[in-house]
Amino acid sequence: MERRLQVLVLDDEPIVGKRLQPALAKVGCDVEVFDAPRPALERLAATRFDIVVTDIRMDDIDGIEVLEKVLERWPDTRVIMITGYATVELAREAMAKGAFDFIAKPFKPQELRDVIAKAAEALGFAGIAHAVVGESS
Amino acid sequence: MATEHDEGVPAAPAALDAVSVERAFRDRPSFGIRARLVLGFLSFVGFAVVVIIGAWILLARLEDRLRFLEAVDRYTMEIQQTRRFEKNYFLHGANLQDMQDHLAEARRLLVAAEPDAAKVLTATELGRMRRHLDGYESALARLVAGAAGPGAAPAERSAIEAALRDNGSQMVAVALELAEKERASVNRTLALFKRLPVVFLVLLLAFSVIVADVLARQMVRPLGRLMNTTQRIAGGDFTPLTPSRWYRDEFSNLALALNTMMRELAHRQEVLVQSHKLSAIGTLTAGVAHELNNPMNNITLTAEMLREDYATLSDAQRLEMVEDLVTQVARAQRIVRNLLDFARESEITTERLDLGDVLRAATGLAANQIKLSGAKIAVEVAENLPAIHGDRQALSQVFVNLLINALDAVRKGGRVTITAGPAREAACVQVVIADDGCGIPAHVLPKIFDPFFTTKSKGKGTGLGLSVSLGIVRQHGGDIRVESAPSRGSSFTVVLPAAMVPRVDPTGSGPPTPSPASRPAPRA
Repeated sequence: MERRLQVLVLDDEPIVGKRLQPALAKVGCDVEVFDAPRPALERLAATRFDIVVTDIRMDDIDGIEVLEKVLERWPDTRVIMITGYATVELAREAMAKGAFDFIAKPFKPQELRDVIAKAAEALGFAGIAHAVVGESS
Repeated sequence: MATEHDEGVPAAPAALDAVSVERAFRDRPSFGIRARLVLGFLSFVGFAVVVIIGAWILLARLEDRLRFLEAVDRYTMEIQQTRRFEKNYFLHGANLQDMQDHLAEARRLLVAAEPDAAKVLTATELGRMRRHLDGYESALARLVAGAAGPGAAPAERSAIEAALRDNGSQMVAVALELAEKERASVNRTLALFKRLPVVFLVLLLAFSVIVADVLARQMVRPLGRLMNTTQRIAGGDFTPLTPSRWYRDEFSNLALALNTMMRELAHRQEVLVQSHKLSAIGTLTAGVAHELNNPMNNITLTAEMLREDYATLSDAQRLEMVEDLVTQVARAQRIVRNLLDFARESEITTERLDLGDVLRAATGLAANQIKLSGAKIAVEVAENLPAIHGDRQALSQVFVNLLINALDAVRKGGRVTITAGPAREAACVQVVIADDGCGIPAHVLPKIFDPFFTTKSKGKGTGLGLSVSLGIVRQHGGDIRVESAPSRGSSFTVVLPAAMVPRVDPTGSGPPTPSPASRPAPRA
């Protein structure tokens, strides 16, 4: 049996994690949810995740910093940025710094699943990709 | 600061509407600067004419005197001549014809000079002269008639001789006296003439000084008044000028033009305030749109998951998700309402305000800008801070403007502190918005309140924020002070008059102190 996709979701809006946890678990991901960047970074320092989904705009530490730290520690982890209306420039910066993709708020769970499926495919998790696509159709 | 404003404001709008002020100007009689200058110069010309006429009259009189003096001299000479022949007659028996001729000539001269003599001599003196001449003439006539001839009685002859000698000597004495008198009078007139230029010069000098002073006063005073008015206008006081004199002149027209300009400026300022507000709304809208994304994202995710997993979820889970939906919708509503409150175009209405509330509303409104800037914000409101009287919306606009400026000045991780407390000025409160950002260069500092002055990049700032803010604060009878050191940060201090609380007199005898209603109402 293939390894499940390890996903970390970081957004300072607790509801985001609360809803994304079951949404992603359904398509075969092990999801860990954080609503503050500091504990998330501590966790990331110790453990490798396949995919990190992070909001760009947060108090304390912003998503760009999280992206830099993750890629520094785990260069082949795929980082997906969540951005809002006024942070398009930041999203562009994130892409230049090696983010896999970005998704703009407000988004539907399925839209994130599609991006995650793409990332999983890029990482060689073909099964997840199929499962996700199958789920969506 | 505040006091200066208090004087100008209360009387302003109702009593001094533009039309009645303009009518007051127009109703005054016209008395222009040109008319006054013409009058001034005419008075000089008049003065000169009077002096010239006076001099001319004096000269004419002098001429008369000289002519009269000449006549008196000739008369004296004729009399003396007659007397010489009289002596010859009595000593040598010479003929009487020469005497008669000279006496007739003297009589003719006296008659001719009589009108002039009347001016110099009294009637009795003149009468004496005539009497002596008459006496002499009659004595001579008797002599000619032969009464005193060689055959005449010696008594008769000596009587005639005595009459002749007496009258003759009297005539000479009177004539000499007259000539002496007249000469003295002419000398007096001449002395007067010698003094005349000096007197004229002194009078002219005094007159020039008076006329110049009056004219200058009339120019300088209205100019000073207009100059004060321009300073008042620069300070944002647009109370129209009222007539201060009984007449109308070029300065009145200038005052009318200034009034028109002030009306236009007041109108423009309103437009500016509105347009700045629109631009501030634009800035805030971008922030609000972003801010709205969070609740909307929560709603989207929750609603989508509720639909997707509806069948498999427990009732408790479904209920929790619905609760989340309700709270997130309320959150979105609150954000939109804040913006609408700010944008609503309402007349300036004053109410009793708690400065802390206003500051919280302002920081709430700029919450997203605060998050984006990454700056730390600390708000401190002193306890028992007196309330203020003002327009909630307008003042929150002021604090949003100052806050956004501070946020623009600080780098990521900078600090902005907002401190509300009592002001140095009596009965005033102040809000200090200080940042540790880039500061304002000294050469820029005097310009920061000018409309359209901005250091922000094109499209980011309108250059109206501070100018509009100062306008609003001044309307409230307050002021904004700024201190800044480059690279150390800036602090903007908004001073506002505190609302007076009606105090209850502890003894209960006096009336309560004036209520907040005594505060001047800001002009709309």
